[in-house]
Amino acid sequence: MKGVAITGMGIISAIGNSVEENYISLTENKIGISRIQNISTVHADIIKVGEIKKTNEELIDELKLNENNNFSRTAMIGTLAAKQAVENAGITDINEFRTGLISATSVGGMDMTERHYYDYFEKPELVKYITCHDGGDVAEKIAEELGLKGMVTTISTACSSAANSIMLGARLIKTGKLDRVIVGGADALAKFTINGFKTLMILSDDYNKPFDNTRKGLNLGEAAAFLVLESDEIVEKQNKKVLARVSGYGNANDAFHQTASSENGDGAYLAMKKAFDVSGLKPSEIDYINVHGTATPNNDLSEGRALLRIYENEKVPDFSSTKPFTGHTLAAAAAIEAVYSVLAIQNNVVYPNLNFEVPMEEFDLKPQTTLKNKNIEHVLSNSFGFGGNCSTLIFSKS
Amino acid sequence: MTQNISYIQSYITIQNNEIVLNGTSVFKIEPTDFADFSKQAYRNFEMQYPKFFKMDALSKLAFLGSELLLSPITSTEQENNIALVLANKSSSLDTDVKYQESISDKENYYPSPAVFVYTLPNICLGEISIRHQLKSENSFFIFDAFNAEFLSNYSGILLNTNKADSVLCGWVEFFNESYKAFLCIISADENTKYKNETINTLYNK
Repeated sequence: MKGVAITGMGIISAIGNSVEENYISLTENKIGISRIQNISTVHADIIKVGEIKKTNEELIDELKLNENNNFSRTAMIGTLAAKQAVENAGITDINEFRTGLISATSVGGMDMTERHYYDYFEKPELVKYITCHDGGDVAEKIAEELGLKGMVTTISTACSSAANSIMLGARLIKTGKLDRVIVGGADALAKFTINGFKTLMILSDDYNKPFDNTRKGLNLGEAAAFLVLESDEIVEKQNKKVLARVSGYGNANDAFHQTASSENGDGAYLAMKKAFDVSGLKPSEIDYINVHGTATPNNDLSEGRALLRIYENEKVPDFSSTKPFTGHTLAAAAAIEAVYSVLAIQNNVVYPNLNFEVPMEEFDLKPQTTLKNKNIEHVLSNSFGFGGNCSTLIFSKS
Repeated sequence: MTQNISYIQSYITIQNNEIVLNGTSVFKIEPTDFADFSKQAYRNFEMQYPKFFKMDALSKLAFLGSELLLSPITSTEQENNIALVLANKSSSLDTDVKYQESISDKENYYPSPAVFVYTLPNICLGEISIRHQLKSENSFFIFDAFNAEFLSNYSGILLNTNKADSVLCGWVEFFNESYKAFLCIISADENTKYKNETINTLYNK
């Protein structure tokens, strides 16, 4: 099982505006969690977030958008990351092959809608921002900026969205429906998600501590990341450098609750199991697990139990959550963590799970807490979403 | 492509204060609103599932129909590989409108999380999955009108590619007190009972 080739990556997050910057932050413990600056909210003094320290005006300038544009923040960071990925893959003619774009989002244009919600009826000039509300608008805008004419679609399955976008892309390449596909996701911070997660009482007022017994919840973050997947024919024909491969994927239904994971991690267990089946790998062949690890009491318990079920009678490999660096970037999380997984394979490193102090009382699982250098052949990355939508990806050295 | 044969195993229709199961009226009451109708139906069939009362109207409608079709065939001991493929016209608009009304006044608003979670049509698939512990494939589609061909094809592919052992498919539409549910179970098990029927003819009965 060779897996589908990854030939390009792009990313913008709270810890950097490029792949290189993100890698430096991950290996030098530069975290991106801070007080919120770009959104005025009553929760500003309580919550900490992983914010991209660029205003919308700065993003508009960087993308050279005209003043009549109606880009949501999600669409802008998505466009930046997708353009990087395409450039990184050395693509000069985007429509040269059958090329698609699969973009994940949960916030979509909500940041604009919530800003103009009470005024747009009276002010027709604001209506353009309401028309970018739909989640699909983000992918359409990215496609337009890339000049891409092929298949464009959007996946919105909460926090597993980008994993499902990568999975769908890999399947479209494998079945020969596309030659090349840009996959990933984008989510900007918005009052909608801040208030929503606040209501669910799963936001931490401190730095998030995945897999720690005293964890209090998550920090929200914003980010966008895209990867370019290409068929082996193109890779051969153009003698392309393959960064790593998508070798396994699985998606399962937890069938438990709208906004919580089952106690034994049934969905998580099934997703990992399916990913192993697709890859043909054994659990013991995984060198690093980039866990979902949101640092909510519910997720880490459920995910930990699922890991112990997968690794029954064997040692759980080195694992860590990178969310103390970036915050939980919702629909984009699996895409940025896919980039981190590929970087782990390329550089043979395990990232530290920051802020961990006390092991959880329910089981004996300790994440890797310092940067560790070792050979990495295979990385497993988990992403679990509301609605019980659980996904697992496996990345392998090419 | 191999010939794809599937059989309708059972079906149910809920509309106009009446529930018709496999062609037989099993519950009918005098005209009333859906909240009252659904509560009476729940009690009539002695369903033991208190979460029912927290659901929005669309989920209650889908739940009632699926409960009568699935309860006889699902088991808690074994995996129930039953896919769910539902569709409607109005999505979750009935609940969306109620939610919007709760936030439309800038000075006096209350966005209830309990209402908000139902502002997606596929939540009813989640309710059915949770009730019957289905960890199987599920999809919800929005069409202008009942689309038997699509439901039949999509379900056929799921069966044909071994993605599911059987499929609960159909239509669950609810908006402004106007409602209709039509659900059927199809699988590859031979069943000649409805051999002269199609999803379309049963829907229109």
